[in-house]
Amino acid sequence: MSRASVELDFFGMEEQNCCKSRFQKSLDRRLSFRGLQGALSKVNPELIKSVIASGLKNPQGQDNVYQMDSNKSFSVPSSPKETQSLFPALPLLTPAARATSENGPEKAPLTIFYNGTVSVFNVPRDKAESILKLAVEVEGNSKNVEPIDSKVASPPSDRQQLLETLNGDLPIARRKSLQRFLEKRKERMTCASPYAC
Amino acid sequence: MGENYNELKKSTASQTGLTDVVLGWVILYIDDPEDRSAVSLVCRRWYELDALTRKHVTVALCYTTSPERLRRRFPHLESLKLKGKPRAAMFDMIPEDWGGYVTPWVKEIAENLTCLKSVHFRRMIVNDSDLEVLGRSRGEVLRCLKLDKCSGFSTDGLLHVGRLCRQLRTLFLEDSSIIEKDGRWIHEIAMNNSVLETLNFYMTDLVKVSFEDLQLIARNCRNLVSVKISDCEILDLVGFFHAAAVLEEFNGGPFYDQPDGYAAVTFPSRLCRLGLTYMGKNEMPIVFPFAPLFKELDLLYALLDTEDHCLLIQRCPNLEVLKTRNVIGDRGLEVVARSCKQLKRLRIEADAEEEGMEDEGLVSQTGLMALAQGCLKLEHLAVYVSDITNASLEYIGTYLKNMCDFRLVLLDQKERITDLPLDKGVRALLRGCGKLRRFALHLRPGGLTDAGLGYIGKYSWNIRWMLLGYVGESDAGLLEFSKGCPKLQKLEIGGCFFSEHALAAAMIRLTSLRYLWVLGYRELSQSSRDLLAMARLFWNIELVPARRVVKTDRVGEVVVVEHPGHLLAYYSLEGPRIDFPDLIFRLNYQRILV
Repeated sequence: MSRASVELDFFGMEEQNCCKSRFQKSLDRRLSFRGLQGALSKVNPELIKSVIASGLKNPQGQDNVYQMDSNKSFSVPSSPKETQSLFPALPLLTPAARATSENGPEKAPLTIFYNGTVSVFNVPRDKAESILKLAVEVEGNSKNVEPIDSKVASPPSDRQQLLETLNGDLPIARRKSLQRFLEKRKERMTCASPYAC
Repeated sequence: MGENYNELKKSTASQTGLTDVVLGWVILYIDDPEDRSAVSLVCRRWYELDALTRKHVTVALCYTTSPERLRRRFPHLESLKLKGKPRAAMFDMIPEDWGGYVTPWVKEIAENLTCLKSVHFRRMIVNDSDLEVLGRSRGEVLRCLKLDKCSGFSTDGLLHVGRLCRQLRTLFLEDSSIIEKDGRWIHEIAMNNSVLETLNFYMTDLVKVSFEDLQLIARNCRNLVSVKISDCEILDLVGFFHAAAVLEEFNGGPFYDQPDGYAAVTFPSRLCRLGLTYMGKNEMPIVFPFAPLFKELDLLYALLDTEDHCLLIQRCPNLEVLKTRNVIGDRGLEVVARSCKQLKRLRIEADAEEEGMEDEGLVSQTGLMALAQGCLKLEHLAVYVSDITNASLEYIGTYLKNMCDFRLVLLDQKERITDLPLDKGVRALLRGCGKLRRFALHLRPGGLTDAGLGYIGKYSWNIRWMLLGYVGESDAGLLEFSKGCPKLQKLEIGGCFFSEHALAAAMIRLTSLRYLWVLGYRELSQSSRDLLAMARLFWNIELVPARRVVKTDRVGEVVVVEHPGHLLAYYSLEGPRIDFPDLIFRLNYQRILV
């Protein structure tokens, strides 16, 4: 089970807590990678890499898009899921973000979930915006792109649609056991006799 | 020793007026957990005595504490009930891997809880290996094992239970998701157990159970009193019924259209609690001879219409528990009110939407009013209604003084409801039913105003658990509500869309609240900064975002189910848990302790 927990460090206490277990520390690292920029899904990271590679000003002169900062970027396979879960925008913690961000004022982590893998890139804000625009173009009418501007983080339109459907219209929940019976009954009625089906 | 003993006696006696010896005897008669809790708070000595003598503990949510803590406080525990997933899991709203693993608890039971004889896991994840560990360590003393709405295990795990737990009086598996490999487990029970009293694998979809093994169990276990099974053709059970001489309770089925009918079936003479799956109007007459004895009748999975209900129920004057669907209709409820004066529990579930298109198969204020006047002993009432009025709720408040658990869901079939909002009726009900401890109200927008929600707060002085759906109009209602409810421990809210800010404020005001579940939570929008206001010491907050689940239903159709997001918040002594699936976000307040 991949540990995709988000520990939101409301009070910027991260640096002060040295006595953490390794497990805890790895969680923290992932938090700062993920940052607060949110994530894209259904956007091919290879595409992103090429966009980044083409335009990124790399002070160290490397072509490798994976910046070797004090915070490492990496691509890890996430646990396989039945459905590609939409990764919603994280809550806004701009004060804390500034406290924990060690990437400098320009670059922030950008996390992409795609096809069972997680890729993290350190990109400056304008680059991230252009990536997102590109993703929107490439996907045509795909509605799964997360806006980069975290200050006005609205949920992706897909999720918005979901919320609108559900808003004010939660269906009456039925117990699972009763639901199973109702389905079985429907089955029985559509079969003439148990032996015919 | 004598001097020290006198000293101890004196010092304790002077503090509390009771010596240890006396208290030690008295405390054995105190069973109620709330009373025990109060006893344990008096002084350290009483706390210790309670800890040593407490027989049963229910941990309402397994993440509120840890197995070690439980064992340290109650080393001689004899009976344990643990609950895992939120109640909403019964309505398919919780991801399967949400959590609630019994493994750490089983480990503690195996190693340290040497007096434990009864284990009840509800809505938890159990592995075959857990059952093996339990069997090997406690198999010789375990008298009661309940895997209640659990999942994660297979019939191999049950094989361990059958082989190792030979002293079981109760094996309860109802509504669990069990991976079926074969029917050897029931054969093991048949071979090894002669003291079984209750066997329940109802609603488990286990089909490889052989009726011969059931017959063998009935022959070997002379005290077999209650049997609830998954699908097994009734005609095959004739031998079983002959053998089970003292059987009082049976649930099973199904019935099929048999050419010769079911005349060959004779039920045991003491049978008084019955539930027969797919029983239709043609099969119904076989139970008529027993109907006057019936104390419990489960028609949830029967195929009876309103008229059938009337015909059957009018023959049941001793009925105490009735479960059925709203096909019973108002007419059926009138028959219940006339015939079943001993009725204590009534549950009326909602049939499928396609059914009940005629008014006959619907329950409304008419049925409720008749019920209120007729069944004065009613203690538990859960009903899905299609229509409602304030007057019917007032009737309930006036007549049903023994009501301790009331749940009402207003279906959305009818566009126009006779009498909304229900402010007056709800107020009258709450004021009248002073013993109410559990209360659920699921309406629709406009069903209850903010003032009405305030009434709920004001008049629910004894209520411990509440489910509120589509009540109130705005945050003001929630804030007014939260001024009351002095004993509310567990609150579930759905479809109300109160702001995070109001939820946070309400949480702080509800003094007894230790568990909050909010469905349809507008999570992670730009205003979710207010979530911060909810953060508290020892308070775990978990968010499951809205998600879409693709399923294949029984007829092979692909169905996309949209699940709204939800928030779960609860007190815990153990801090945030680490065994949650990817889906869940936790808000961690613990850092502030550094």
